[in-house]
Amino acid sequence: MNSEAMDSLSILIDKIWPKIKKKHLFPQIPAPMVMESEEAVAIEMKGKQIMVNPWICEKLGQVMPKEDVVESLLDHGTSHYTYCPWDFNTHIALYSEVKKVIKDPEMVKCATGYFMDIVANTYCIKEKETKIPELYKYLDNWDSTIGSRKLDMAIFSLYQKIWGIDLNISGYDDIANRLSRIPYLDKTRWKKSIKSFSRTILCLLEVEKQEKESGNNQQNIMGEHGLSNYSGEEIEAGLRDFAGRTSSIEEFKEIISDFEDELKDLGVGNTSGMGRGKGEPIDADMLFYMKLAENYSIPIKMVPMEKNGFLHPYSHSPWEVGKPFEDIDIWTSFGKIIPGITQIWNKREGEVFGEIEGTPDCVIVIDSSGSMVNPTVNLSYAVLGAGCASDAYLRSESKVAVYNFSDANAGGKELLDFTTNRKDIYRTICRYFGGGTNLRLKDLESLRTKSKTDIFIITDMQISNLKKVIDYLSDIDNRITTVYIGNDNRFIKRFKGAVKEMQNISVYSVNKKEDIPKIVLGKIKDYFNVNPV
Amino acid sequence: MKNPFERFKDYQPKRRDIPLDRIIESKDKVMEEIIAGYEKVVEEEVKSLIWVVERNRLAEAYSRAEAVIADMDYGVEDIEEFCYELDSNEKLPYLITGPSGIYISALCNYAKENEITLNLSELQRRLHLIGYRLPAGKKLIVDGSIGNFAGARLEGGELIIKGSVGDWAGSGMRKGKITIEKYAGYHTAEWMMSGEIRVDGRIRSMGKMINGRIYEMGKPIHPLYNNSSSLDSHRL
Repeated sequence: MNSEAMDSLSILIDKIWPKIKKKHLFPQIPAPMVMESEEAVAIEMKGKQIMVNPWICEKLGQVMPKEDVVESLLDHGTSHYTYCPWDFNTHIALYSEVKKVIKDPEMVKCATGYFMDIVANTYCIKEKETKIPELYKYLDNWDSTIGSRKLDMAIFSLYQKIWGIDLNISGYDDIANRLSRIPYLDKTRWKKSIKSFSRTILCLLEVEKQEKESGNNQQNIMGEHGLSNYSGEEIEAGLRDFAGRTSSIEEFKEIISDFEDELKDLGVGNTSGMGRGKGEPIDADMLFYMKLAENYSIPIKMVPMEKNGFLHPYSHSPWEVGKPFEDIDIWTSFGKIIPGITQIWNKREGEVFGEIEGTPDCVIVIDSSGSMVNPTVNLSYAVLGAGCASDAYLRSESKVAVYNFSDANAGGKELLDFTTNRKDIYRTICRYFGGGTNLRLKDLESLRTKSKTDIFIITDMQISNLKKVIDYLSDIDNRITTVYIGNDNRFIKRFKGAVKEMQNISVYSVNKKEDIPKIVLGKIKDYFNVNPV
Repeated sequence: MKNPFERFKDYQPKRRDIPLDRIIESKDKVMEEIIAGYEKVVEEEVKSLIWVVERNRLAEAYSRAEAVIADMDYGVEDIEEFCYELDSNEKLPYLITGPSGIYISALCNYAKENEITLNLSELQRRLHLIGYRLPAGKKLIVDGSIGNFAGARLEGGELIIKGSVGDWAGSGMRKGKITIEKYAGYHTAEWMMSGEIRVDGRIRSMGKMINGRIYEMGKPIHPLYNNSSSLDSHRL
């Protein structure tokens, strides 16, 4: 493609873009650009920017006005932004619905892409003045292989039926009849619609897959719908919502694994290091809990920190020889050093604290014994609760240490020293040992003595040395938040009975996700004079 | 004060009527009719807490279904969509799997098309009594597995299940053919009078059949064993 043709296309885009913007009610997307790579797609979107393929525009420009080609391509691209999928959240929601019908990730991506294209095109035709139908009339002129691609032919046949135009397609009536019953423009029914759509085109997707395997690799001419359309922030927010919406860790893991390469390119899941970029493989279990925990906010009761003895200027008095020069207030002394005229500040020790209130560091103690849920298989409230607690401390700029234990005496334990690295914290919290339950108090003591810390314990209380644990906790004066998973059992009753009178220990029960926000970290009973449980 | 939206005054969206609107409207109307018909059929059945499969009960429910769908104009796609509506339970107040199956069978038996393909592979629940009284000249192909009493009292039609079936498949079958591409459950062909059942996988156990031909994994197992009780003991 010569640079002259590219420049002329660029000029054409600049001319048409204001019209498109007005037509679509001024969407907040940057002006489209000319694609430099020789992709086999007419348009693609990267980071909200539409890229138009000059080569395809040139080819199609031979059979229809070039302005119409560019206008229809921009209409299509803009509709993806303004209507379907609209955002990453909707994209992933649609993708997860297709995943319930089709297992192969490439086929799922393909089905999701075609559905979004149909919705975007149909929306444009219904709501806007567009040349999209004309574009589709000439697409087979551009690409002679379309006729051999059954899926494209079925979609064209559908367009004939639902738009009421003649695209000169025959022989796909049955599939087009089924596809035409789907309410593409009803957003409230999209989830159901895309499942029905996927079920109907499944046989054609399988044919297409076989053709791809035999080397006939054809792309959707209207572009593939990858994650590069979205910004990193949008993807982070979308994953957070998705983790909150699905309680199935398996579903989340499957989808993350389907998009692993794209997510890695976008730097999702990397919380350390500078900037975004490709890093280690994504740990989907950890990412699930990280994203899910972001949906919950647990308050921390702050505590008064130490006085710092800072002296602050309080009042003036006349300076006398022998008094320190550094306390002279030059503003009220008129710049002169004369006894009787020169004023000096009298200082007093501050009656406020160095930091009025602050949040101490926290040791997260999490039970990962066999009686606890395996966080990699099912949603673990223990891991989620511990994640929410650590996030709360990290948000307060405190550090978090983790003590993950199962049969600690037999080596079933992992200690993480105080850190602000969220990824390391989650990695330690998510680890599952699955053995017996024995809390090694020496380990806990080694973390506790490093600073005046809060302690957050999450367990089902079926600890073999529970008596020792209770004795230990009753001897220390740290603020302790204890969360037990499951219903009251004899261990929990014993623990609650033993700590009933202790002012520094709060006990909460978590049986469902919604119980987590009820936890108040570091809540001391005499703050409120009520017993939380 | 200047209207900040003045620029948009002359820019009204020009909504175009497209065939999709009419298709969806008409489809939704048909679905409403099918759902209303279903509610009529089950409103009697819902009064009893437990729905027992008895000959009279089946016949009554089927007659009610026949009466309800007599004037309906629907297609195969509507039947399939209704199955998914039943499964999702969003529009329907209650799902009783027995009468639901009778109603779906009646819809298939009275459909305009002679060959009906239902893709039920994504259903969360298994529908019972699919293919009940399927008449001669009708072919029902089910993609996916279904529940008990598949092809019960088949009346000459051809039922193909591209999956497994539950218990009592082909019970009381008069004539016709049932092909099951995977497995069949207990009491297969109970009181079967005539016709043919082919199971490509294993049959859990045979019922007490009167007559007919049964094939399991490609091999004839009846009339090879004329004594059905010996067949049962062979199986169990």
